[in-house]
Order: sequence, then C-alpha cells, then structure tokens
Amino acid sequence: MQKIAVLCLDETDRKGWDEAFRGIPHVMIVTAENGLTRALDSIRAIGEDLRVAVISSLLYPYPHPGLVGLLRELNPDLEVLLISREACAPPLKPLLEDRIRHLCIMPVQAGVNEACLPAVIDMLLKQRGWDISCCLKEGTVLHSYRLSSSDEKEDLIAKLEELLDGEGEEMELLRQKGALLADELLENAMYDAPRSGCGDRLFSKGQRRSMLPREDIVFSFGFDGETLSLALTDNWGSLDPDEVLEYLTRNEEETLDCGDPGGRGLFIVWRFLDRFHVAVTPGHSTRVGGNLHLKSTLPPEAPRGFHIMNRCEEVAA
Amino acid sequence: MNLANYVSNEEDCFILEGIIDAHAEDALKEIPKKVKHPVARFDFSLAGRINSMGIALILRCFKEISDKAEIRIEGLNQTHSMLFKMTGVFLLAAPVKAQGGRKEGTA
Repeated sequence: MQKIAVLCLDETDRKGWDEAFRGIPHVMIVTAENGLTRALDSIRAIGEDLRVAVISSLLYPYPHPGLVGLLRELNPDLEVLLISREACAPPLKPLLEDRIRHLCIMPVQAGVNEACLPAVIDMLLKQRGWDISCCLKEGTVLHSYRLSSSDEKEDLIAKLEELLDGEGEEMELLRQKGALLADELLENAMYDAPRSGCGDRLFSKGQRRSMLPREDIVFSFGFDGETLSLALTDNWGSLDPDEVLEYLTRNEEETLDCGDPGGRGLFIVWRFLDRFHVAVTPGHSTRVGGNLHLKSTLPPEAPRGFHIMNRCEEVAA
Repeated sequence: MNLANYVSNEEDCFILEGIIDAHAEDALKEIPKKVKHPVARFDFSLAGRINSMGIALILRCFKEISDKAEIRIEGLNQTHSMLFKMTGVFLLAAPVKAQGGRKEGTA
C-alpha cells in the first residue's frame, strides 16, 4: 500500500533523491522521463490511499507549471511537498499561487539536514504539527517558558544565549542568530498575534504589556550541540496560513520597502532558520519555529524550506 | 539604543550602541535632521541585536538621508550583514572598505 508518490524529472534526478527516501515506508518513486502523463497514470493507480505527493524542483514549477493542478485533480486533499537542492531552490510566487505549503531545501552535500525528511513525511501523513524535538538528538533537554509580561523578553533571550555557550566563529554566529530568532518570535506572539474580534492589533510593537488572563504564550528551545530548535506557541491562532507564504513572497520580491511590507519578522525568521515551521489551528493556537544547524551552509539570501500546517493535530508545548 | 554623533573630515558620524528595535524610534528619527555634510557615516560596532522593527526604522532613516548625503556603514557583525543584505539596507548604504580592501558586511 503506497501513500507517498515521489515525482522526479529523470533517472539522474531520481538517483539524487534515492538515499533521502531510503527507509521511508509506502513510497513510490516515478520519473517523468517518458512523459508527465505516464508518470501521473502511475500515481493515479495508487488510488485513494495516496496522501502525499513529493515533487522534485527540477520538475516544478518549471518545466511543468501545471503539475500541482493535475495532482490535485487526483486528490484535492493531497499534501504537496516540494523538494529541492539548495542550488536550484524554486521562486516562491508559483508556490504561493498553487498554495504549496511545504518545501524542503537540502544542502548540496548530503548529511546536514537529510535526516529530517522522514520526520517531515511522517508529519504530513499524520497531519501533525511540528515538534521541536524531532530534529534533535535523543535525550536533548528541552527548555520551556511561559510568558507573563513583555519585560521577560530579554531574560528569555539571555537564557537561550547561555545554552549556546561556547567559543568559535560558528558558535558566535549561532548565538547571534538564535537571539534574533527568539526576539522575532517573541515580538510576533506578543504584538502581532493578539487581535480584536475584527482583526485589529491589540498592542503596539515595543509597548510594555502583561499577558491577558487567558493568554498563553510559551517559548521553547533545545540545543543538542549541533542543532538549535526553537518554537513559540500562542493560543490566539490568529495567523492566517495563506498569509504566511504571501509575507515571505512579498518580502522576497520587495527587498526595499521603507515602510513595513508586513511580515518582515516572519521573513527574517524564515531566512535565518534552516527550516521554518508554522502550525495554525485557527482561533485556537499558532506555533512558529524551526531548526538551525551550527554548520548551516545555506546563505542568508537563499530561500529556506518551510512547512505551513493548517488545522493540524497539536503537539504539547 | 544610545546614539552619539560628531563631525570628522566633513562627514557626519553616528555611533549606534545597544539593541536596535522599536525603542530606537525616537533616536533614529532625529538622525536625518542632524546630517549637514555630503557623507553620513554609521558605526554599528557597538550595536547589538537588530530586529525587524529596527530594520524598518533604519531603512526609513537611511531613505530620508539618501536624498541629501551618501551613507557609509561600518562595524557590522556577521548577523547584521546578513540582515542588511536580505532586507535591502545595502541598496541605500555602502559598507566602508576595511583594511586590505575587503568591504565590510560582505561576509
């Protein structure tokens, strides 16, 4: 019983991904070498068990921009995951138009992030929100703090910096990036998430504030010596999953906007993480976070992977 | 954020110290009025974290100055450089060449 279809451009492309999918059950890998129609016919044969379609970026958005539409004709609820090597990361606009919410960008050299692919596939199959421990070594201590006031922001950032204690240029860079990521995630939860019934922001950026009686903001992080994983969960659930990719696309296209193009904080979080996760249960919770490797080779100007889950099954903070 | 400024060699020099975020708004808003010379030089070597709000304020400040002066920046750490690159700050301000000819902020 196959649940996952992987579409590659040709045999060379397929061979490049074989290792990444080794050990993942229920996978069928097809190539479009003999035409896209034949590849889609093979996938159609899976029938209603098909849950996830994984597409190589050598195939989509170019040379087959209509591919996602064809796949969704097979199953409108299909989860589509685009996979790419860092040198051929796709532009975001077609992804925004096709509402693709999952992108994995692997480094050219195997190793650093390849191990996360089984966890991503599992997450999509189970429709389960991302868990900060999934890319950390077993036994890594997770730290979790519930906010009561905006005054705690700097203390929490200092706690994260303490955890990333160590010498060397790589560690210093990880510490700087970690502090910035924590800042953006905390600001997002404290000032962007709280909305009135008509969607207006309740608080201004930088305003000193206490959490409201039923407001729950939890900052969690862990570091296993190589990978930093961090997440911010709020119980507003006010972030629109469709808007997330729109923010990333807009900030990518309009590099220079002296006002606030909206979502610049999320854009920075996306670009500083190796992989960016958003899980929204509307009106109930939003979790934003991801992971970053000490030896991350992805340049800051390059797009990153992301996973935007809507109405997902929640995981504990 | 603390701000110090002085004039040297016909250049308006600004030293930005500490975290640059929403709380830096008043200080950054004042800077364009202080620029009287054709070059405005910004030293970030004492600056800490710069978040998205800080970037928005820096962009607004630099945009206003760029109409009347050339903007040069120095003292960036690696994270500042990455941020400036991805948000377009370098389109308004040129990193000063460090000794040896390598431009600062081109990590």
